[in-house]
Amino acid sequence: MPRDPRSLAELLADARVWRLKDATAATSRPAWPTGRAALDARLPDGGWPTAALVEVLLAGHGLGEVQLFLPALLAGGAEREAGGGRWLIWIAPPYEPYAPALAQQGLDLRRFLVVRPASGVEALWAAEQALQSGACTAVFLWLKGSDLRWLRRLKLAAEEGGALGVLFRPEHHRFESSPANLRLAVSRDAAGLRLELLKVRGGQPASIALEP
Amino acid sequence: MNVRARDSRTADLFAAELAAASPPAPASAPTPIPIPAAAPPPPAPPAARAAPPRRPSLWYAVLFPELLDAPAAPQRLVHLARRAQRYTSLVSLEPPAALLLEIRGSLRLFGAPDALRARIDADWAHAGLRARSAAAPSPLAALWLARAGASITVEDPAALAGRLASLPLACTGWEAPRLERLRAIGIVRLGELLRLPRAGLARRFGPALLAELDAALARVGSPRRAFVPPERFAARRDFEVEIEETARLAAALAPLVERCARFLCARRAGVQRLQLRLWHRTAPATRVTLGFAGVTGDPRRLQRVLEERLSQLVLVAPVRAAALASGALESLPGESGDAFGGAATSAAALPLIERLRARLGEHAVYGVAAIAEHRPEVASRRVREPGLADARPPLEAMGVPRPVLLLPTPRRLAASPAADARPCDWRLERGPERIESGWWDGADVARDYYVACDRRGARGWIFQERRDRHWYLHGLFA
Repeated sequence: MPRDPRSLAELLADARVWRLKDATAATSRPAWPTGRAALDARLPDGGWPTAALVEVLLAGHGLGEVQLFLPALLAGGAEREAGGGRWLIWIAPPYEPYAPALAQQGLDLRRFLVVRPASGVEALWAAEQALQSGACTAVFLWLKGSDLRWLRRLKLAAEEGGALGVLFRPEHHRFESSPANLRLAVSRDAAGLRLELLKVRGGQPASIALEP
Repeated sequence: MNVRARDSRTADLFAAELAAASPPAPASAPTPIPIPAAAPPPPAPPAARAAPPRRPSLWYAVLFPELLDAPAAPQRLVHLARRAQRYTSLVSLEPPAALLLEIRGSLRLFGAPDALRARIDADWAHAGLRARSAAAPSPLAALWLARAGASITVEDPAALAGRLASLPLACTGWEAPRLERLRAIGIVRLGELLRLPRAGLARRFGPALLAELDAALARVGSPRRAFVPPERFAARRDFEVEIEETARLAAALAPLVERCARFLCARRAGVQRLQLRLWHRTAPATRVTLGFAGVTGDPRRLQRVLEERLSQLVLVAPVRAAALASGALESLPGESGDAFGGAATSAAALPLIERLRARLGEHAVYGVAAIAEHRPEVASRRVREPGLADARPPLEAMGVPRPVLLLPTPRRLAASPAADARPCDWRLERGPERIESGWWDGADVARDYYVACDRRGARGWIFQERRDRHWYLHGLFA
């Protein structure tokens, strides 16, 4: 992504720059606070990673899975406003993204794109293109099948393009191996939203109950 | 003055009154300059009969009533102007809905003026358009006659004033304040206006009005800007050896793309679409559309989209020739402005959007725009250019929850048959919010919306149709 960093801070804020805190600490990257303290505490960088692939396993749609990410992205996007807004792309969402709801939350619809590929492979291809383009803040992909080789490519593309890739998949993929930096399963019970962190790079698996 | 007594000689009187009212002016002093109220009015130009024996022009005016409120009127008018060019080289646009054709020069080819007018009219009828036409020695007169629905041909400039006399003033298309002021002094027809003394007219309404009347009566020439058809790029290449692979085809087409880019560059223009045509010896020609995310003339972008598009193509037969053609050229967006919103960094997404569209299809990549509408199914719309969407559309229901995903059509939910029963699998959490709207276009809704939770914990936006009491799922709070 050709950008002229105007300051050291901006350079360091770039998702592709890894910084050593001290000799013993793990490498740290910028992250977006999720807006939920209980969750931030469990994530190694204190928020959603920025140049990474996150896999979200769902029992069904409508659990609030998009809301896990959208507020954080919007807050992160506002900080980047000076550098020109980057894009949010949704690939193969199960239903139509509803513009009034997105605008209501403060999303800039001028930087929002929906992609409807005809097949799973084309969806993966589109996600790879979007992630590595450097033009996107985040790419959401709703995926049904599984293809380990493609998921590795997506992870590399996310790291290369400095974008957050979020992969929404049915829960039954839970026991397959995955190259994602972070894997979580989302469910909702009487107590509210429950997140199971299945795989946390640089952190510990955990189960977190969030407010409804 | 008794206006009714002097009916058929209005033009002469108009000229005579001027001669009486104003001092003779030097012949070389054209005065289209605004004059102070007290100054003498501009002199009337010599009457057409006294003019040098130049062949008077003849203008055919046509008005298309259905273009008056049509959405794409400018483009359609250009299309019609192009069609009219088969009759004369001088076609002039009169937006929003009229064309003017100078047809004097075409008479030799097409016969008498009336015959030619009938022939052009038949052409519009053939195209399924309602058209009102007239022909007269001046473009303004022809236009006014056409607007009034006169459907006549006036060839003699001397007869013009008499023909125009009965037309209502409204057909001049003048601004409302001017018409209002004329009506206030009791003038509703052109004839009544033409009979007024020039001095008084100039004092009351300024010289512009006189200039227009003179132009309409063909006393002065009225140059019109000729319509120039938009330029297009078209080039063809024949291959010495037939090409069987799309990869080689892309390379072989590179010179065409290069030429196209140079053509665009020279005109400081761009395109948003290119048509590629491939000819085969053994099969009908293949047509391929190359779409770009914004107006561009950048050879690399043209080539990249071409390659992406060709890589998706299965050749039905080897290609022996190819042609590349543009639609109408478009002006390139400025340094900062672009279809996708302006900021320079957003341009970083253009190549991505083009790549996605080239492989997945034009309609598979789109933005969404919020529409100020109560009915949920029309409040969100797919748009081709996300950059053109309003940044923050006005929302009536700012505080009311809306789902981020909407079902294209509401899905009926099972409910027990009892009257006013709740849907079986859903627990209502919040509501109702009544939405009633759309009675004017037949797609009216009368619904009570609720936020509800199903057994798995999914949160949905469901509604009860108020007429038949059925329940539907309409959105998901994903």
